[in-house]
Amino acid sequence: MVLTGLGVVSSIGFGPQEFAAGLRAGRSGARPISVFDTTGFEYANGCEVVGFDPTEWLRVTDPADLGRASQFSVAAARMAVRDAGLEESELAGKRGLVSVGTTDGEAVDLEALLETSLNSGSAAMDGQTARRVPATMLSLAIARELGLSNVSAYTIATACSAGNYAIGDGFDAVRSGEVEFALCGGADAMCRKTFAGFYRLGTIAPDCCRPFDADRKGILTGEGAGLLVLESLDSARARGARIYAEVLGYGLNCDAYHQVAPNQESIQRCMRLALEDAGVKPHEVDLISAHGTGTQANDVTETRAIRGLYGDQPPRTISVKSMLGHTMGAASALGAIACALAITHGFIPPTINHRSSDPECEIDCVPNESIEADLRVVQNNGLAFGGNNASLILGKYSEKELVS
Amino acid sequence: MSTENITTTAAISPEQAERIKRVVCEILEIGEDEVTETSLFIEDHEADSLRAIEILASLEKEFGVVIDQAELPKMVNLRGVHLVTADAAGW
Amino acid sequence: MTTEPRLVITAWSAVSPYGIGRESFVDGIASSTSTVTELDQDLWQGPTSRGCLVPGFDIREVLGAKGTRKMDRVTALVVSTVGQLLADGGISTGEDTALVLGSTMGSAQSIMDFTKDVLVRELPYLVDPAKMPNSVMNCAAGACAIWHGLKGPNTTLAGGQAAGLMALDYARRLLIHDRAAKVLVGAAEEYSTERAWLDRHSWPAETPDRVLGEGCAVLLVETADQAALTGGRTPLAEVLATESRVYLEGDPTKVLIACVQSVLARAGVRADEVWAAVPSSVGDRGRLESGVVRSLFGAEVVDRVPTGDVLGDTGAASAALRIAAVLSVAEHSPEAAGRVALVTSADRYGTVACSLLRLADPASS
Repeated sequence: MVLTGLGVVSSIGFGPQEFAAGLRAGRSGARPISVFDTTGFEYANGCEVVGFDPTEWLRVTDPADLGRASQFSVAAARMAVRDAGLEESELAGKRGLVSVGTTDGEAVDLEALLETSLNSGSAAMDGQTARRVPATMLSLAIARELGLSNVSAYTIATACSAGNYAIGDGFDAVRSGEVEFALCGGADAMCRKTFAGFYRLGTIAPDCCRPFDADRKGILTGEGAGLLVLESLDSARARGARIYAEVLGYGLNCDAYHQVAPNQESIQRCMRLALEDAGVKPHEVDLISAHGTGTQANDVTETRAIRGLYGDQPPRTISVKSMLGHTMGAASALGAIACALAITHGFIPPTINHRSSDPECEIDCVPNESIEADLRVVQNNGLAFGGNNASLILGKYSEKELVS
Repeated sequence: MSTENITTTAAISPEQAERIKRVVCEILEIGEDEVTETSLFIEDHEADSLRAIEILASLEKEFGVVIDQAELPKMVNLRGVHLVTADAAGW
Repeated sequence: MTTEPRLVITAWSAVSPYGIGRESFVDGIASSTSTVTELDQDLWQGPTSRGCLVPGFDIREVLGAKGTRKMDRVTALVVSTVGQLLADGGISTGEDTALVLGSTMGSAQSIMDFTKDVLVRELPYLVDPAKMPNSVMNCAAGACAIWHGLKGPNTTLAGGQAAGLMALDYARRLLIHDRAAKVLVGAAEEYSTERAWLDRHSWPAETPDRVLGEGCAVLLVETADQAALTGGRTPLAEVLATESRVYLEGDPTKVLIACVQSVLARAGVRADEVWAAVPSSVGDRGRLESGVVRSLFGAEVVDRVPTGDVLGDTGAASAALRIAAVLSVAEHSPEAAGRVALVTSADRYGTVACSLLRLADPASS
């Protein structure tokens, strides 16, 4: 099972080339939030997507029929298909899966409806906005735009690990031969209620996100979408497609412990399940793209889980959230894309904004500057509210190994 | 501003203390007879950091005040909560 | 794919307008009485005065006071349905047990209640921190995992009215790829004021007889081998095939027919072998769906199992509740043994899905 197309909408660039350049340069997406009114918050930086024009990406759908997350989702899907060198008409003739992960879906629209309701009464809500709201729209919008009828299209709503959940699902569907391709990933649009919630929990950083840093103050919320084209190696080779990486396996589990707090033992088990599924030994892993939110609780717990599984010499462990902020349901999809690009282009994206390492986070987070590296096996973590953990393993694709 | 303060007593009325206790006990899901001025929310009553923020938020609503989240580390028991709430409310 | 293990449903439960638990659902379906009631306008200030609610569903009374202080209605529906299922069958949970839950968007009410504080309080961050998890769509599945110790994959699948069928197909994939030994799979929808308003504004032209309902149905699905290993669990039905598709134009008819024909072909079942076919039949879209299914299988087959209209429009829970209805009717119908049932769904947003089940034949097992 291989990744042959990548689509990216992010605060540090659109499309795989720009995104890869941003990751290599350690670009920061942080800026003062403008997508919602930040009055009353003492600080409000975020990693928002700037300069996104939905009309560039929508051909059959009226942009006003889609919320911002669905627009991101469609744009990234169209990019991924194009990047894979596939014609949309060609895809329409194949059985496929469209699976998009999200945390908040179109919560921005729900807030707008609520505002109407508070100001003018519930009878005054806008119907077009209301129809954008069901989370299934994030995946159905892709099917509709690309003209895909013979697909199963649904949205995975497992919060901040949803991207990995969706990619794993696509991997299983392609692997068992029930679909010829999977278009999967995650999308989210920044919304005020989630910002306010994290702010209330004391987990929004005032300036920037510093994962694994002794002075880390929390997350920055972000937004965007990452969609990937997954197909079998045979299918990719038959059409001479470029292969970014192989999906080797993944693991899913649930803490069943606390809605918000992470659980070390359970995260460790999730990563172990992923390695077992991929048939990979811990010492073979070259890089971990951590969930790495930059909160006190996450970074210590995740680091301990990594050391628990990998021992005293764990692989380098980075957090792309230092650059992208926490893009919620898109986070682990963008993380997976970052891993695929890192494998393809032979570099490790840095953990930016780093000043001094937290002695409680005993990992090499590749501070501030990217480094060249030949990566063979990479792990991408996604953790979430509800204890929904998902860990994905990608590997370098090489022709030679097929001969043997 | 640290541990010494927690050992002093806030200037709050018995009625205010009762309201605070009710809020705290409801969140900790314990009976009002199970908590003392000095019993610790986390160590003695199985609270966690989310519960602590919830206590802060509920007190804000109950008394119509805003409590600085930087005060959370002091709100380890009822006595600490009394001090922080009295301070925020200007009692 | 021919080597895939056979998947069977070995237990189920439901919380619905017929009441709490499997027995009340079986009895309700047998009577197939309507569950529409006048709503208490002090509690439910929605656009209409009628709904199909779970009677007496007071969260604290149903689940007790501990751990339910900030629990929302859809979470409570799921926690209690799964609780009923596990208790009925004396079923253990743990790392090998997955939960796959179909949903529309979790609780629209919870998301909007949480957001309300952002808009109305003197400072926008004075939200209730304990209710933040409720404002995220995976709250019900995550809380249910905590309550019942479900440590396997825990998936919330948003798929509108067809969510239950897509969840069933997702559960199949978890099982055939050995990601869980058994999967609790179902779907849930709560009645709420905000949902009622969203629905009203989304579909203002819908006929007024479409009443919103609520409920949750959960099935225990495992491989036939696993069920045999555990001893006590007898298969109630085999899951033969499930498929979903997207219709790109306004009318789902063609795609629905293609989807039905595809599952029949995949399962090697002839149309005349279908004993019961259960479309959603709620509202304009449901009537259209029902008409298509009727034209394919005839009135007798479609009328065997009461369709969704007896419970109102139960949203994402619809298809899962109709699978439960099939199993309920089969329980009292000796002639159903070994026969095939089809459940369909044509969602208004663009999804068409169907599942084919073979009801167990106690004589042959």
